[in-house]
Amino acid sequence: MIDVVCSGLCYDYPGGVRALDGVDLTIHAGERLAIVGQNGSGKTTLIRHFNGLLRPTEGTVTVDGLDTRHKPVAALAALVGLAFQDPDRQIFAGSVEAEVSFGPRNLGRRGEELAAAVAGALRTVELETELHTNPYDLGFSRRKLLSIASVLAMNTPVLVLDEPTTGQDARGVRTIEAIVASVAAAGRTIICVSHDMRFVADNFERVIVMRDAKVVLDGPPHEVFAERNWRVLKSTNLGPPYAARVGHQLGLRSTPTAAALVRELQAAQPR
Amino acid sequence: MGRPGPSAYHRLNPLTKLVVALTTTAAAVILGGVFWPLMIVFVFVLVPAVAARVLAQLLRFMLIFSLPIAISALLINVFFYPGGQTVLFGLGPVTATAEGLSFAIEILCRIAAISGAVTLFYLTTKPSELVLDLERRGVPPRLAFVTNASVQTVPAMAERAQQIIAAQRARGLDTEGSAWKRVKGILPIVGPVMLGSISEVEERSMTLEARAFTRPGRRDLLWSPRDTTLERLARYLLLLGLVGVIGAKAAGLV
Amino acid sequence: MTLTLESITYRYAGTGRASLSDVSLELADGEVVGVVGGNEAGKTTLCLVASGLAPRSIGGTLTGRVLIDGQPTTDRPMHELAANVGICFQNPATQLSQVADTVFEEVAFGPLNLGLARGEVIRRVTESLAAIGITELGERDPRRLSGGQMQLVAVAGLLAMGPRHLVLDEPVAQLDPEGRALVAEALRKLAAAGTGLLITEHDTDLLAGLCSRVVVVDRGKVVASGPAADMLADPRLDDWGVEPPARVRLQRALAAAGVRSELPQ
Repeated sequence: MIDVVCSGLCYDYPGGVRALDGVDLTIHAGERLAIVGQNGSGKTTLIRHFNGLLRPTEGTVTVDGLDTRHKPVAALAALVGLAFQDPDRQIFAGSVEAEVSFGPRNLGRRGEELAAAVAGALRTVELETELHTNPYDLGFSRRKLLSIASVLAMNTPVLVLDEPTTGQDARGVRTIEAIVASVAAAGRTIICVSHDMRFVADNFERVIVMRDAKVVLDGPPHEVFAERNWRVLKSTNLGPPYAARVGHQLGLRSTPTAAALVRELQAAQPR
Repeated sequence: MGRPGPSAYHRLNPLTKLVVALTTTAAAVILGGVFWPLMIVFVFVLVPAVAARVLAQLLRFMLIFSLPIAISALLINVFFYPGGQTVLFGLGPVTATAEGLSFAIEILCRIAAISGAVTLFYLTTKPSELVLDLERRGVPPRLAFVTNASVQTVPAMAERAQQIIAAQRARGLDTEGSAWKRVKGILPIVGPVMLGSISEVEERSMTLEARAFTRPGRRDLLWSPRDTTLERLARYLLLLGLVGVIGAKAAGLV
Repeated sequence: MTLTLESITYRYAGTGRASLSDVSLELADGEVVGVVGGNEAGKTTLCLVASGLAPRSIGGTLTGRVLIDGQPTTDRPMHELAANVGICFQNPATQLSQVADTVFEEVAFGPLNLGLARGEVIRRVTESLAAIGITELGERDPRRLSGGQMQLVAVAGLLAMGPRHLVLDEPVAQLDPEGRALVAEALRKLAAAGTGLLITEHDTDLLAGLCSRVVVVDRGKVVASGPAADMLADPRLDDWGVEPPARVRLQRALAAAGVRSELPQ
């Protein structure tokens, strides 16, 4: 199991825009991390450094101790799997099976091992009955689950998902939540970029808030979404989850999730 | 309404600029030699480029686009010109001839004229404005739209291709390895570009229908580039000039 | 203007399965109706039929009738219907015509296509931009705007054609919270000004703030319909693949844990 470490990470896009300005971050093996922030805050730029798609202008990014500047993306992809936001910018195969096999095949899996990886990933996203279906015969949200399965099947120690719940219905969101749980249960690191604060508060143990190319908040949900940080959240056009607002209005301690709210209310109830 | 261009040349009617590009290119090719194409480049490309303040960009683009052709034309003709007799120097199995060199120079002058005229047009004219102008002159609106939309597609497609390449590399697609690996990697890149474009076309066509695009008949234009009598005169003179050039060449006068 | 769907059954071209079965729905003048349901329940199909794109633009077989003010629209061509019912989809980038260099020209695209005179078009575009609250974006390049802003331009472009109803298929699904807030505010303004809205969405919080009535679609059929507050608190929403609004979810969590508490408004 591996760590991802960013040290003094700065990145400038050609044209001069500084998208990351001195990010210091250590992501430990097995962590459940959510990265939030408005568009342009640097979150998409940050995750592209984890598998070497982007290389630092200044500072370093190391994955399992390896400097990403000295490793090709194809090699880092075996350590950090990254699923992008738009499945249609990824899907190319004529069948679900071929699509999901692409990633693990690139990593050298063959035969039994490959089939098992594909089957496992498809089961997780509930697409195991659509092996031979053309991906474009699936609706958008199932195509999105397919694109996630394609990266799941690579069984990388670190998994990064970019906006996984966008466009999903209730069932789809639950499937994503189950993925987060099962990946974490296997000891793998899971990182999600999301703008769904409820999804973030409910499923992740650590939240990083980005604004203007820097990390401005870093901690567990009950800290990041506590009332004292609401001004910072607002400054980057984010708001705390509904449960947190209700908890504050009722005068309770920080309650980022429904479960936390329940606990606090139960504790406050006279015996 | 209408867009103020950064210079008077920019603000010329797009058709005028198109006629300039076409007639000067044709004249340079027909006249041949060294003097005439260079004269044309000076009067009809460099002077307007200075007036339009795009000289530096113009020269850069001309260099980028014509350099490969220019180099190969130079090499082929200097060393392999049939009928070359006056030897300049030898280089291994091949010899450079003076006739070849002079022919090569003539070709380079033509290339300069063509690339200069085209680049000037490209730098001073917005495709959407040209299409609007043509529509005002009677080109059917739907044809105008398709032309405009097709031109706009190219940069969008390029951008999309970049994103697709990133997504596939994240799945282990090797774009930095052996040539064979890179060839194998074409389908995972071209596939989504094509498929995505197709599904985007579907969505886009519904957008168009929702905006009454299929209604037959004429439609008003919000604005169109202005045209002046002076420019119309200039266009006729240029076309007349081209006819004159053809006639003079045919009669052996130049 | 009333928009009525009467016993609509629709099949996409090349499929045997009906995507909508015997669906009836009426949208009164100025009414704001929300449509919820799981993915592939038929929400998008409903929008396509209501706007006339199905079957005119995408083919397929339609039985039943779509009526505007009681008159069937069966023989009317798409470009005529476009002036009565506008439709907006979820992907901001494909809602643009791609040929306009400014937002003003983009919004003018529809009215010009309708054959309106230039002066009238300018008047409508100006009004439309003001109604949505994006007058200051008039000279910007529509392709360089944020997702939320692009959606606003799309809606303004539809509004300028003068429809009495707008159909919006998951308008905020691909937007970030900022974009969502922008679009929600614009829709509120439109509703207040009397435009009828038919909105399909997963974001039930958005619908709770906008709709007077909510319809639930499941496997091609309308399975429930009623006042928004009632429908969005219905315990069966989970079975239908719909996430209830945050408040309802929280109330349920409290009730399930046996905690008595009044949630503040």
